[in-house]
Amino acid sequence: MFELVLSQWQTQRSRWLAPALLWLAIALLVVIVGLPVLAILLYALFPHINEWSLAEPFSALLPTLADKQLLSATVNSLRLSAAITLLSCLLALPLACQRNRMSDRSGRWWDALLMVPFLIPPYIGSMAWMQLLQVKGFSEQLLGFNLAPYLYSFPGIVSVMALHLFPMIYFAASNALRVVGHRYGDVARVFGARPWQIFSRIYLPLVLPSLVSSCLIVFILSIEEFGTPEILGNRFGFHVIVTAIHDKFSDWPIDLPGASVLSLILIVIALAAYLLQRYISERFSANLDQQVINPPPLRRSLLARTLTQLLFIVVAVLAVVLPLLSISLSALMNTLSGGLHWNNLSLQPLLRLFDGDGDAWAAISTSLSLALMAACCTVLIALLVAFAVVRLRARATVLLDFLSILPNAIPGMAIAVGLILTWNQRFWPLTPYNTSLILLLAYVCLMLPYPIRMLSAALRQLPRSLDDAAYISGASELTVIFRILAPLLAPVALAAGFIVFAISTRELVSSIMLAPPGVETVATYVFHQFDQGSINAGMAMSLVTILVSGSIIVCGQRLQGRVRP
Amino acid sequence: MKKLFAALTVGMVLATPAFATDHLVVYSAGPKPLSSGLAKAFEAKTGIKVDMFEATAGKIMARYEAEKANPQVDVIISAAWADAISLDQAGELLPYHSANAASVPAALQTPNYVAQGAAALAIAYNPQSGLPAPTRWSDLTQPTYKDQVTMPDPAKSGSSLTLVQGLVAKDETAAWKLFEGLAANQTLVPGPNNAAMNPVLQGAKGVVFGAVDYLVIGAKAKGESIEVVYPKDGTVLAPRPMMIIKTSQHQDAAKQFIDFALSEEGQKLVADEFILPARTDIQAKRPGWNDLSIIDFNEAAAAASAAATKAKFAAIMMK
Repeated sequence: MFELVLSQWQTQRSRWLAPALLWLAIALLVVIVGLPVLAILLYALFPHINEWSLAEPFSALLPTLADKQLLSATVNSLRLSAAITLLSCLLALPLACQRNRMSDRSGRWWDALLMVPFLIPPYIGSMAWMQLLQVKGFSEQLLGFNLAPYLYSFPGIVSVMALHLFPMIYFAASNALRVVGHRYGDVARVFGARPWQIFSRIYLPLVLPSLVSSCLIVFILSIEEFGTPEILGNRFGFHVIVTAIHDKFSDWPIDLPGASVLSLILIVIALAAYLLQRYISERFSANLDQQVINPPPLRRSLLARTLTQLLFIVVAVLAVVLPLLSISLSALMNTLSGGLHWNNLSLQPLLRLFDGDGDAWAAISTSLSLALMAACCTVLIALLVAFAVVRLRARATVLLDFLSILPNAIPGMAIAVGLILTWNQRFWPLTPYNTSLILLLAYVCLMLPYPIRMLSAALRQLPRSLDDAAYISGASELTVIFRILAPLLAPVALAAGFIVFAISTRELVSSIMLAPPGVETVATYVFHQFDQGSINAGMAMSLVTILVSGSIIVCGQRLQGRVRP
Repeated sequence: MKKLFAALTVGMVLATPAFATDHLVVYSAGPKPLSSGLAKAFEAKTGIKVDMFEATAGKIMARYEAEKANPQVDVIISAAWADAISLDQAGELLPYHSANAASVPAALQTPNYVAQGAAALAIAYNPQSGLPAPTRWSDLTQPTYKDQVTMPDPAKSGSSLTLVQGLVAKDETAAWKLFEGLAANQTLVPGPNNAAMNPVLQGAKGVVFGAVDYLVIGAKAKGESIEVVYPKDGTVLAPRPMMIIKTSQHQDAAKQFIDFALSEEGQKLVADEFILPARTDIQAKRPGWNDLSIIDFNEAAAAASAAATKAKFAAIMMK
């Protein structure tokens, strides 16, 4: 009876907005993500497509795939990503659970702090760990021991990368847990459930979709990560697919088609991971009928609170304090060979950034404005895509959903090549190529997966009955989107925006390839400093960027406190 | 927010370099002060605007390849002579002989490309490491240097590949024996030039086999504890080729740029970065043409078998 009324009501009022949004979302993703990925696919099949020729089709496929090292590199990639995802979960889950028992005030503090790992570029982070733990590194100079054998090993790479990536899962899981609230756990406790039972039988299934989709991101980010395996893995002959791809980009002769072929392997792995994620999420799709956005903090014993704080402190020291300390020390050293001596430490490298030609400031402001624009664009597009994927039961949404994970699976260099192939064509009347807008396009393309994953996971938790109730009460689609869904999604959208902002401020690989002549970003600036052997200047620049964008995020967190209903 | 966004968009569009009719696109491999110094001096002298894209040699070539459907670049300055050889063999270079190239050694110029300058490959060691100063390449296979040597990867550094090719061309058996000795000495092959030099500056290792000399001299000038040694048994030059791409829309400007880079003024800018100037009549700020004993070999022939050389090197070192 009820459904009959609903369907009658639906036929009376035409819903034009939803299909229009779907098409808009598809069009945007196809242009931003689809075209460059298609260009890479074509390049893998037709090695001369860059000259508009279909000559020698498929000639790059076999020689590239026949490489004996490829199998071991693929196995290494899978092993590495699986281990990193697992360790990230182990780090993030206890923290996320504890986060929801804190007062919102101290919780936001930890949230801001755990955003820092995103601000540290992975290659800088790896260098920082090297400076800290290598033979005659900082730890040996100060405390007399080094951990070089551990650092240059499989567990070493896994630890460094997991400490960098676990916040992705932490933020997703704690947002999801916040929506669940404490009520279910309280009920279970009344009926005598043990804490472990409450967690594994109630909370875990409820947050599983969020958890699995953030795990997917971490898995795919680890598969795609270049800096850490390159810097640490090279020391003990550990090669992954991405380092093989980068070799093809940098070895003479340059083998772009070969690199594209290898990118295909990553796309296939991403597809498999995506399907697995979809399967798990669908089995555990959780709909909560009553939303609790702002659960009151639990009253807890002093011991429990101290233990919680201790847990956070230990993780924050490992993931934030030690890398930052190492970066700061490197930035303050006049010479690398001088070591940690008072007379070798000064503010010179930091101060030198800002005298002279103002290149450093220009690079910082370019990066910050690009990152801000990338954050706004990606969150808006992601809202659209999430709405289309979660709320509209159209066939096309599966494609849309998969398309949205692809940019993370393909190495930044390959995306950059795809963007050049796409936009450096004579037939475009207008092209962003060779202007700063190509960098914005690249960042939006590379960062889209984060807000899309986070927002669609959050939207999945909001019950459809919420929308239907509004429709029945006579609300238009616009009202539903803006008055009901948007406020509920706002905290997640902001968190996603911060992540995009943080990662874009330090994006390196595609920036180097795509920066138009004369435009510098933070990452290209740092790269040029390292290229000239000025490690301290590069580290100083990284430090300044981390501080500047970090304080922007802290301001944003305060704003978030006000936004929350 | 909307306003800010609009302002930013407008700002970005305005900030992009306007493409004047009289301009030149140059892709150049490091060092940045040299590239931007050359560009600025050239602009001041001719009034032609230079759009300079800087990256590593590999990324420059990757961008060039990806842009083939709509070529943008006029002049490429690479750090790898082999890049010029391959582009030349593919017939993608515009022949040009600069009048200023008269005193550039014959080995450093062809009808289609010419060196801007050159680096020499050397041994670099950290005096603080307490190791004895090496004098020849084979010294580093001695037990004293066990676990103390790094070497840039020929697969990731064109100059390191040139060194391997030069030593192999000089005496093949001796060269491969040398690398076997280095491998037995636990030589670390961590990646490109910086990856090999940093551990030596930081003290984790002591010696670089095959350091790019101007980087070492530059580091020393900044106060780092590092010394450069040119081995007695001869060293190898890694020239930096300059070439005009055939599809260039600004061929006259491109020729003027090559002329300028080879002029006395341009070559002095090269010398300022501790690079060996291509012209023998320009004073170098480091050991010059007469102070180096250089192993001559046929680079084009070596380039043809580069893949095999790299594979053999990898098989020995990564054992």
